[in-house]
Amino acid sequence: MARKPQENPALDMTPMIDVVFELIIFFVVTIKQEDIFSKLNANRPAPSSGSASEENDTPPCTIEIGKGRDANGVIVYNKREMKRAELDQNLREVARTSKKTAIIIRATEDSPHKALVDVLDICYRNELFSVSIFTM
Amino acid sequence: MARKNQENPALDMTPMIDVVFELIIFFVVTLTEAQKKDETIELEDGKHGIVLTPEELPPSHMQIDIASRDKNGKPLPKGRISMGDREITPDEIGRRVKERMKKYGEFPVLIRADFNCRHEAVARVMNACTANGLWKISFMAVNEDKTSKPGRPGRKHLDAVKRRAH
Repeated sequence: MARKPQENPALDMTPMIDVVFELIIFFVVTIKQEDIFSKLNANRPAPSSGSASEENDTPPCTIEIGKGRDANGVIVYNKREMKRAELDQNLREVARTSKKTAIIIRATEDSPHKALVDVLDICYRNELFSVSIFTM
Repeated sequence: MARKNQENPALDMTPMIDVVFELIIFFVVTLTEAQKKDETIELEDGKHGIVLTPEELPPSHMQIDIASRDKNGKPLPKGRISMGDREITPDEIGRRVKERMKKYGEFPVLIRADFNCRHEAVARVMNACTANGLWKISFMAVNEDKTSKPGRPGRKHLDAVKRRAH
């Protein structure tokens, strides 16, 4: 009641600014930063075209993925079980001869998806992009 | 009644501002609600993949989620295949792929599968796509982890790869 006589025609901005700041702080605090995602492309082999790799001189590399003792799965290359870092080294050699080398990944049904993504990532790291996935 | 005499010809903005704020809050809240997806899925790291930007995903793209555990954390050995938070069978995926192929031609398929799920579930989804003439499949991975989840088992070994000088 005491306010009435003081009210002036100009809009009082102070409460609005207060509220806006309150809102800004609220959103800054609550907003969640999103992860950045990547995508790894691969091909499924077409039933008839086993000849895709024959355009290159280098024979395709086969990497096998199976179920391991732990959640990481097991990776076999050149008939030898190996760790991710080792596979990376091997594929770097492959990439040095030809980046067009076809990579064939053969995964068993009980292998973890993690191993497949890891192998794809290692292929991408070495710029080997023609990857196809077989399921056994 | 006492107000009438004070009313001045200038428009009173206060109620309008109130309503506008109310609307802003409403839309912000409903928007974040609408973007919800299967939160149980944890992706494996893939730092060398193609970074996913909105341009990388045309409106014709199709995303399929595969979870390895249910919302209570109980493991699902067969995996739960879903699209937009709704469970879906591989047959239905095949049907949708066929429909979309008619509409757009070849379109990108993105599989967002939990790092822990069996390859079998992934293979079923891939087979549903290949059976309808779609041979290119993409897998989603984490390029940069901003929402840190310490102790995530998915990331250890790749750090070892990263540490080595290239």
